[in-house]
Amino acid sequence: MKIKEEKYSGLFKWIAYAVVTFSTILCLLPFLLIISASFTRNDTLVREGYRLWPGKLSFEGYEMIFKFPDQVLRAYGVTSLTTIAGTLLGLFFITMAGYVLQRKDFRYRNVFAFIIYFTTLFGGGLVPWYILFTKYLKLTNTYTVLIFPGLMTPFLIILMKNFIRSAVPEEVTESAKIDGAGDFRIYSRIVLQLSMPGIATVGLFLALGYWNDWLLSSLFINHADLYQLQYYLYNVINTVSFMASMGGNGVSLGGDIPTETMKMSMAIIATGPILLLYPFVQRYFVKGLTIGAVKG
Amino acid sequence: MIKKSMLLREIVTNRMLFLMLIPTVAFFVVNNYLPMVGIYYAFTRFDFNKSLFDSDFVGFQNFEFLWRSGILTRLTLNTLGYNAAFIILGNIAAIVLAVLVNELKLKWFKKLSQSIMFLPYFISFVILSVIVYNIFNYESGFLNTLLKGWNMNPVDVYSTPWVWVPLLIFFYLWKNLGYSMVIYLAAITGISDEYYEAAKIDGANIFQRIRYITIPMLKSTFVVLLLFALGSIMKGQFDLFYQLIGNNGMLYNATDILDTYVYRSLKVTFDIGMASAAGFYQSLFGFALVMTVNAIIRKINEDYALF
Amino acid sequence: MSHKKKALALSVGALTLASALSACSGGNDNTSAPSASSASSAAAPSEPSASASSASAAPAGIDTSKHVTLQFYMLGDAPKDLDVIQAEVNKMAEAELNATIKFNFTTWTDWDQKYKLLLSSGQQVDLLYTAEWTQFQVYANSGAFLALDDLLPQAAPKLQAFVPADMWDAVKVKGKIYTVPSTYKEYVTNGFVYREDLREKYDLPVPKDLASMEAYLDGIKKNESAMMPLAIDSVTDNLVYPLRELTDDTVGAKLPYGIGIKYHSPGEVYSYWGSEEQASDLQLIRRWAEKGLFPKNVLNQKEIAGDLVVNGKAAALLGDNPTRFNEYNTKMQSLHPDWKLGYTPYAEVRGFATPVHPIHNGFAIPKSSDNPERALAFYEKLVTDKRYNQLTEYGIEGKNYTVENGYYKMVGDSSSNGFPREGMQGWAWRNPEYMLFDQGYDGVKAIFDELDKVAKPDLFTGFAEDYSTYQPERAALEQVEKQYFYPLYAGLLPDIQKGIDTAMAKAKQAGLEKIQESYKQQWLAYTADAGIK
Repeated sequence: MKIKEEKYSGLFKWIAYAVVTFSTILCLLPFLLIISASFTRNDTLVREGYRLWPGKLSFEGYEMIFKFPDQVLRAYGVTSLTTIAGTLLGLFFITMAGYVLQRKDFRYRNVFAFIIYFTTLFGGGLVPWYILFTKYLKLTNTYTVLIFPGLMTPFLIILMKNFIRSAVPEEVTESAKIDGAGDFRIYSRIVLQLSMPGIATVGLFLALGYWNDWLLSSLFINHADLYQLQYYLYNVINTVSFMASMGGNGVSLGGDIPTETMKMSMAIIATGPILLLYPFVQRYFVKGLTIGAVKG
Repeated sequence: MIKKSMLLREIVTNRMLFLMLIPTVAFFVVNNYLPMVGIYYAFTRFDFNKSLFDSDFVGFQNFEFLWRSGILTRLTLNTLGYNAAFIILGNIAAIVLAVLVNELKLKWFKKLSQSIMFLPYFISFVILSVIVYNIFNYESGFLNTLLKGWNMNPVDVYSTPWVWVPLLIFFYLWKNLGYSMVIYLAAITGISDEYYEAAKIDGANIFQRIRYITIPMLKSTFVVLLLFALGSIMKGQFDLFYQLIGNNGMLYNATDILDTYVYRSLKVTFDIGMASAAGFYQSLFGFALVMTVNAIIRKINEDYALF
Repeated sequence: MSHKKKALALSVGALTLASALSACSGGNDNTSAPSASSASSAAAPSEPSASASSASAAPAGIDTSKHVTLQFYMLGDAPKDLDVIQAEVNKMAEAELNATIKFNFTTWTDWDQKYKLLLSSGQQVDLLYTAEWTQFQVYANSGAFLALDDLLPQAAPKLQAFVPADMWDAVKVKGKIYTVPSTYKEYVTNGFVYREDLREKYDLPVPKDLASMEAYLDGIKKNESAMMPLAIDSVTDNLVYPLRELTDDTVGAKLPYGIGIKYHSPGEVYSYWGSEEQASDLQLIRRWAEKGLFPKNVLNQKEIAGDLVVNGKAAALLGDNPTRFNEYNTKMQSLHPDWKLGYTPYAEVRGFATPVHPIHNGFAIPKSSDNPERALAFYEKLVTDKRYNQLTEYGIEGKNYTVENGYYKMVGDSSSNGFPREGMQGWAWRNPEYMLFDQGYDGVKAIFDELDKVAKPDLFTGFAEDYSTYQPERAALEQVEKQYFYPLYAGLLPDIQKGIDTAMAKAKQAGLEKIQESYKQQWLAYTADAGIK
């Protein structure tokens, strides 16, 4: 019996390592290609294509992006601020909603779940949304408009609801209630602590959403001081390709712009910082953490 | 009358719970429900001189461009087919990898591989399309250089429609794997160790433990992902198709989806009415599908249903 | 019949708007009712002598007693020093027009979508850039802009006199002026762009028509195997359109829906798609493709054609305009001093060149403007007042630029200077009298001078198509072109006639005939109206 068990485990271990290693390489290769391209001279890249190792090292892509370092840094600042503020605020609302929606004794939970879910099916489209935010709410050029629309998604709320349901046994809530704890107290003292893997996951997704967003800047911001990072970078490329594709007007690019290299450098710059966040989130994916908390 | 008093009583007894829902409800009212009046655009002729509700009602005229080209059926089938593949294969891949990663014992490797599998998520399809072109283009692509090196005939991938079906599915999986895997990893983390201990004592081997404990415990997460994916089964993944296929009409029979068709049509016209009409058609489809599936799930196990 | 109906609907719309405006403006008398009913006809070059007074005086025709803020919208990115320039402009504008100007820029990201949103959301926009490539004719046709005919003599008499009457006529849509055209004359006509140094090196012919171009490309293919002879990033813009200019004498570069109209017989409209002409064009493309003069997967090629040439990956462009040629050449020589580009204008083949149509650059006042009079008065300053004009085109003299021997010279370089030349994309309010050029632009001017000798008017751009009656067919046809004609454009199909037949069958199914017929009627009405024969 024991021997058989170990044989299976050994086999499984090999499969696991092989499959995971293979997938990892598959995901890593293109990224290495991009890193290498970002350090290649633009004309070399256009003429000779992509290599895993840059022939001659060049920083022109990065230099071009940091041509106006204060603008890039400010864009970093705006994105960091919206990401942090939006994620924290969003997590607060989402966990509350998730908690309420999973309470079996809450009669209208399905009604509210439907109200929330329905928005993923039907939408009014871009134009009315834009009119509402610009004309009626007057949110153009504000931090509010950069943060508000990303606070919640139906998906994350329902996901949170499920995480809480599986992480917080009903008995825990019941016994707390008997002890006289109010709903908000149960939520803040017990539920939040038990749902850390869920909160970490949802928080990560929220943060990714804010970090990658460029649409809000594009639509509602026309002040360069309030551009988010992704929009700033994206716009540099759009400007170049527009200038190149438009005929006439005596448009001048003002010197050579290393388009291809710059695209690659931008991908790296935009990816970097959020990757630092992931290991932090991973800390919560350790087994036993939640169980210990319940027992303790 | 009775219903009303029931609601009132509920509000009084659970006032804290209602209070906790207020921010969420307010958010969706402002961000989603108010702009929904825009659906009416689908049935009017847009006019710069009139407000939305003063505009001429034109019935289903704005929908005409969808079926006018005679390819609506094919577009719909393509869209459904690709999305079905994305949903099924995407979830299988994510679950398998989450289970495998979870069993890794080498801590540093476990963490590193997770991080790396997240990398593709950050590579935009614009950049991916550049890389893909560099791999597959006929004259100087990496693949053909390799084939020529082995004295084999070069292949023209960009003129071969069927190849793009697996390719597009592959790139979708590749890009989203890290993201969906995290969801399942978090869910696995939430499973109590006691189950596994008990199973071990009963003599279950690792395959049996996964089969009878882990997989069933992931069911509710899967259902959530499924229902959300079904709701947008007629939409989405525009960038993937638009960037990788672009203007290559040779491939359209196998690769054109509703979103790319609508995009191309509206790029030359950009009519708000037509855009709303297309969105409405997509929504109706998703709505019908989700209501059906949710009802079925509810019959099987109420806990798993969304609402 | 349907025309009449539309005109009626339009005037009703204009009336409702006029009443809505007066209701909103709360007693302010700035609604000079843009009544469609009063139908003020033709150009009215009213006494320019009256306005030839001092530049700084407030325009007599309008009431400037109430302070207003004008929202000015331009495409593209704002220059870094916009705030400084804006403050300088406002110093003058507040004193002279009692108005504060807010310069807004859409950036180039999704600019077409934002353009649409600006016009359809009803937010306050007082001045907006227009061009044929921003679909000016379509928007003007559908009533997005204010008619300026009555407003001009009142709010901007000087501007009205400054722009020649034939230009005002040329920008009219349905007999009304909706945009203020730029008066600067330039050419954006095509020409062959090719690597001159390689031509010399391998002793190839100078590309001056299609045959010599082909011989040149063959020579490149033979001698430089790693290069692609012809750079293409769009099979229409870089291949089919320029080719048709050379072989089919097209009236405009981008005739839609497979329509054919010849410059020298504009009264005849035929279907280019399915014609002998098209078959022979496509055969030429197929021949070039088989010879490997451009890459096989050109439909998925995304690198910009100009970049391919500048970086030495490709040797030639089938067609590009003088300004861009000059720019490529400058860029290339800064990277590779021993490389050189050559240029042959299509005028050598076609015998004539058309300067840009006045619609090409302009500014309109959208219906949502709160202060159309003040907006127009300000725009008059921007164009005709040297202080406003040079400040917004070149920045502050001494700080952003200097003038040396009559040439514009940038202070510092593009990374240190916060306001490069035409940093606000001020193409539309260029004033030839005040314009300053970089010395590097002399080459382009020389080409322009040559083209001036054979200049003929642009017959095409003034045409304002109204596609509202065949919108669904239009969308369907767009799909057919991409799916069935693009492979032919890229030279991918061996059997051209079969390819054309399939494409034509699909196009007819999508409603090709209806579209072409309607387009033809509109075109003939336009040519009759404009006296084009």
